[in-house]
Parts: sequence; C-alpha cells; structure tokens
Amino acid sequence: MTATNAVEGLKRARRGVGVAGRGPATPSPRGRQGRTTLGRSWGTLTAFALPSLILLVLLNLFPVIYAFLQSLQNGTPSTLPWEADFVGLQNYVTVLTSPQFWQAAEFTLVFTIVGVFGSWIVGLGLALLLRTRIPANTVFKVLLLLPWIVPIVVSSTAWNWLVATPQSPLPVLFSWFGLDNVNFLGDPLLAQILVCVFKVWISFPFMMMMMSAALASVDTNVYEAARVDGANSWQTFTGITLPMISRSTYIAWILMTIFCVNDFPTIFLLTQGGPVNATTTLIVLAYQYAFQNLQTGIGTAIAFIMTAVLVLISVVLYRQIKKVNIE
Amino acid sequence: MTSESKVNGFTRRGFIGLAGAAAASTLLAACSAGGGSSSSGTKPIKFWNMPWGAPTAFPQEDKAIVAAYKPKSGLPAVSYQQIQWANFTQTFTTAVAANTNPSVSSGGGTTAFLFEKEGKIHYADDVINKVWASNGIKDDFLPGLLDTMKTKNGYAAVPYNLDMRLYWYNKQLMDKAGASLPTDWDSFEAACKALKKIGVFGYGTYSGAGAFTGGHTLVAHMINNGGGLFDKDQNVNVVTDQNIQAMEWVLGLVKNGYVDPRSATYTSANAYSQMNAGAFGMIWDGAGTPANVNANVASQLVVGDPLVGPSGQKGALYFPNNIFMFKNSPSIAGSEAFLNYYYQNMKTLWTKKTGIGLPPLKSIAQAAYADDPSATKIIDTWQPISKTWGAPGSNTVFYNVTKVDGTQPMIAFAQSILGGNTTAKDALTTLQKALESA
Repeated sequence: MTATNAVEGLKRARRGVGVAGRGPATPSPRGRQGRTTLGRSWGTLTAFALPSLILLVLLNLFPVIYAFLQSLQNGTPSTLPWEADFVGLQNYVTVLTSPQFWQAAEFTLVFTIVGVFGSWIVGLGLALLLRTRIPANTVFKVLLLLPWIVPIVVSSTAWNWLVATPQSPLPVLFSWFGLDNVNFLGDPLLAQILVCVFKVWISFPFMMMMMSAALASVDTNVYEAARVDGANSWQTFTGITLPMISRSTYIAWILMTIFCVNDFPTIFLLTQGGPVNATTTLIVLAYQYAFQNLQTGIGTAIAFIMTAVLVLISVVLYRQIKKVNIE
Repeated sequence: MTSESKVNGFTRRGFIGLAGAAAASTLLAACSAGGGSSSSGTKPIKFWNMPWGAPTAFPQEDKAIVAAYKPKSGLPAVSYQQIQWANFTQTFTTAVAANTNPSVSSGGGTTAFLFEKEGKIHYADDVINKVWASNGIKDDFLPGLLDTMKTKNGYAAVPYNLDMRLYWYNKQLMDKAGASLPTDWDSFEAACKALKKIGVFGYGTYSGAGAFTGGHTLVAHMINNGGGLFDKDQNVNVVTDQNIQAMEWVLGLVKNGYVDPRSATYTSANAYSQMNAGAFGMIWDGAGTPANVNANVASQLVVGDPLVGPSGQKGALYFPNNIFMFKNSPSIAGSEAFLNYYYQNMKTLWTKKTGIGLPPLKSIAQAAYADDPSATKIIDTWQPISKTWGAPGSNTVFYNVTKVDGTQPMIAFAQSILGGNTTAKDALTTLQKALESA
C-alpha cells in the first residue's frame, strides 16, 4: 500500500466508509469502535479531571465564598453560616466608618511603601555590588540571604533583644552618643520606624535574588556599547540597567506589595500592633477582630477590602508590565 | 473476558465498591459523632489540655494520669491531646465548627463561656451536685471558687487551676533602699520612692507583644478600689469614679518615674530580664513568678500583702482557669465519668511540682504547699479577696469577659496608661467605646 492510499484508508476508516469500489458505504465495525473509543475517552477524561476540579473548587472557591458569606453575617469563628444572623453590608459600613480602620490603613500604606521600595533599593544595590569582583563573593551571598531564611519567630525575638530593654545593644549604643532613654518599642513613631526597618531587613534578600536574576539576563554587549558611546556609570544605570530590568522590577514590586499588605507575623511578633495601635496594619486588625474580639464578620470584611485594594494595585502594576513588553 | 483491569487481585469494580463502603461508613460515623447522645462506649472520647506547666514535667504527668484511667463497663476510653497556646482560640473554634471538638477540655480562662453562649457546652451540674456532693470534692473547692463558673443555665465549667495578679518584692533591694513593706497605696508609693533613690523601679509590669499582664494589673487596682469593668447586668461600665481614681494613681506612679517607661511594650521575657538585672524592686505578676527568674533573684522574692485601697477595701483580680465538657461527645456519661476521675487523681500535678498554677482544691493546696510559705500566703490571703473579671457587678465569668481578656482594646488601654501620655478619664472613655463596639 502506498502512503497516499494509507492516508485515504485512514480517512475512510474514520468516516466509517468501506474501501472504494467494493460495495456500498456501510459503517464498518471499526467506525463504531472509533466512536465508542472517543466516548470512553471523554468519560475517562472526566473521571480523571473531576477529582481535581472538585479539589480546586473546595480548596479555592469554597473558602472564598464561605468567607464572603461570613463578612455579611455577625457570627463568631465557630458559628456556622446557617447559625449566624445576616446583616448585609453592615460590617463593611462599620469597618469603613471606623477611625481604627483608617489608622490601620494609613500605617499599612506606609509599611508597604517603605517595605517595597526600601527592600528594592537595598536589594538592587546589593545585587549590583555582588556583580563586581569582590573577595568571598559566595560567602557574602549566603550571609545576605540569612534574614530571608531565618524563621521570623527567631528574627523578631532577636530584634526584640536588640532594642527592648535599657541593657539592649541599641539603647546602650545610643546612650554613648548622649541619647538616653530612647524607647524604640514604646514610642509610637519609633515603633513604626522600627517595624518598617525590620520589614526591609527581612525582605531585601528576596529583592536581591530577583534583581540578581534580572541583571544576569541583561546582555553585557549593551554596556560595552554604552561605554563606547561615552556614558558614565549613572547614565548607564538609569538609561540601560533600570529599563532593561523594569519587567522584573514590576513583578518584584507586585509580589512585595502583596507580601507587605498580607504580612501578619512581622507586626504581630514584634509589637502586636502597639504601642496603642500605632503599628496595627489591616491584616493585624482583621485578626484582632476575628480572633480576639470574636467578630468574624468584621474581620473578614476587612480582609475582603484588603483583597480588593490588592487586586487594584496588582492590575495597575501588571499594566505597566504589559507596557514594558510592548515598548 | 471483561476489559476490567486487575491489579494485585483488586478489580476496579471491587475497588470502587470498597471505596464506597469506606465513604459510607465514614459518613455514618460522622453522623453518629454529631448526635452527641451515643453512649455505646466503643469510641474513645477526646480530652484536650493546655500546656499549663513546665514543658516536659506537666504533659508527662498529665498524660500518665489520663493513661491510668480505666473506664467502667460500657463507658469509653479517653485519648489525650495537648493544645498549644499559640492561636488556641482558632484551634477550638475550628474544631467546634467542624464537629471535631474534644469531649472534655481545658482552654483559656474564658473559652468555656464563649461556647456556652453558642449552646455547645454540656453543663457540669450533675457532676457537681450529684457526684462531687457525695464524694466530697464539691466542698473541697477554695471558698467561692465554684460559683465563679455558674451561669444562669448551670455550671459552664469547673475550676481547674488559678492564676492571679499580686505583687512580689525583692527583699534584698527593699532592704538596700530602706523601704518599708507596703500595706496600702500610699505606702506602696513611698516604697517606690525609696527604690527610685537606688535606681530601681518600684512598679514592675509588662504589656508588650503577647503579654497581657499589664492590663490585668490595672484592672486589679480598679477592683482593689471597689471598681472593675462590668456592672451587675454584666455590661461594660468602666468610666467610674473608683476606676478613674485607680488609674490616676498609676499615672502618678508613671509620672514620678516609678514605672519603667519601656514597660508598656515589654514582653514577659523582657520583664524577667529586668528582674534579673535588679532593675525591678517589685513586680505585679502571677503566682509563678519565681520560676521565671534566676535562682538568685528567686530566693529574694517574697509575696507582698494585699494593699488596702483608698476606699478602705482590699481586692485583686484572679483567673479561675477551668475544664469543661462539650455537648458534642460520643458519650456524655463517659465525659462526666472521666471528669470525676481526673479531679480525683490530678493532685500529683501539684505535688510533683509540674509548674501548673494554683490548685482549686483545698486538699491539694495543703498537700502541695506545706513547705511553701509564698504559695500558702497566696492561697490564704490573696485568693479570698480576689474577684473575677466580672467585678464589681458579679464574681463570675461570662461571655462578655471575652471582650476584655487579652483583647486589643485592653492592650491599647494598658499601653496608654503605662505610657503616661493620657488622662485616666480619657483612657477609660476610649476603653469603654472600644469595648462597646467589640
């Protein structure tokens, strides 16, 4: 049989038609078998996909729907949806008219801006530094990753030890310079600064890795060309490096924004939102409502407002990424 | 021949049948667990306990007590689970929502009352009034203690161990400062003044991350002055003359430099390191304070006498931690039988010094503290004058207490008073508003 004949034969077989010139076109057993196989394939596919689909719905969609339902009710963490009273959007109104919410929102904004740009500047700076020929480069890389690797319970305890009591290293250091009684955790402004600095400290290694990867992908010939054209270091950095890594930068900003807004342990372990709510962020406030005040509705309402804002920020930054791609 | 695949003797059809049977039996088991009235005695009941004492000694002894339980015929055995303090409210509420809660459990001091409000608690009235009235345990509780657990529907829980807020003084530092032992608010202030002269803070406390003691102590002062947080209807009522006077006293101590300015944000570890450094001459804390400081300092610590407040009253705050039963249990009879067994046999937790709080029973206190004057003094002089969060309206624990026990409004209130940048009335008014909206 030639190749052409073989192809035709297959086509006929798929249509369920017999060999040309050998009688009427009756459906062949092969044709029936073909349809049966296809039917079985769909069945098999469904059987295999269904558990995953059910899991996806259960793990992702159901909790979101359940939480949204809770945000419209006045239940406690142990109240089931049919046990709690439906209060409509009252929880959202309560949240949005509460001064505590806006105080927390304001600090969340500051914490996020400092966290994102602080860690980016430090991370990018170190990534650039690590591209130069410095001795023991690998050792530095490992050491710089430590703040990211160490469990946050350990690092928050270490930072508490660093600042909390008059015998702690930083207050002692400050007293050498005549600044006695600097109360890092007790003064609202200093506590806010401390929490932000701590966030930058635990986050910069992530940024450093992201930026190192981005810098590694930039073609070195571009720098050669810039050098030949007489560009100085600053011009090279602003005119070449930053634009070339802008896509990775936007992605890193999106991720770090999400990390900062949703960062519960950093605040909770170091200050628990104090002193007098000065370092309470929205996620900490949501926790306090849900699990300390046992007002799950208000807690989840805060969480949904946060999610909406995060989605908005992510969309704006994502559009920037697309713009970069087009250009 | 069928096209069914056959692997290791299992046919696909057989496997599906087996899986179906397993699912059905799981479903049936779940349904029966939710019924709460089964007393078949076949399924073990769950006992959850918190890590109340030393990390190794307490759970080891506690497990041994539970393991020695031999249920009577027809009653179920008991399984033991220790629940960590971290996020324990979530642990309980999630378990209750999922119907996987224990049958018998301890928890936070107010956990039982949260679930009592939701109708999940099996009242302990039968155990107390029938079983314990006949075997003597009911009369063995410390004075007034059992009644702190009573709600309008019955006993939501039974007292298990006690924590209270009192003060300890460092004898060595007091002697060095030439300070007299305080008996009332004025003499306490005078002792603080003397301690300040040797560079020591007289009023030691802490209210930072994870530390609720600062707020507890402030409420203890309110109770000492005839005040407190709740009226007789169990509603929040904090802006009272007695409370304002008590907070003005503390603000005065802060402004005079008798309180470490960092106290507002100290963790317990920070406060104990200040004790070890000799920076605190006195500390408002729990009965177990000496166990948290180094041996040298611990040997110098003495329990102070309850102070007489300006109104001539004595008073303090205490927390009757408790054990409770859930309605959702494979066997209510099994829960009650185990509870009775546990109370009859829990003495060794104290006599073996596993670090649990003060005992609820007089017989245990006598057996455990014959050679411990501090613990004896706490039981004899502080417990009788102490009241629950319900003061001044009542001396009980109830649902609204969950709004003040370790909550953010109380932490913020304590931090504002200990920070000193407020007035008593402003701080109390802010607290009132925060608690009303909670």
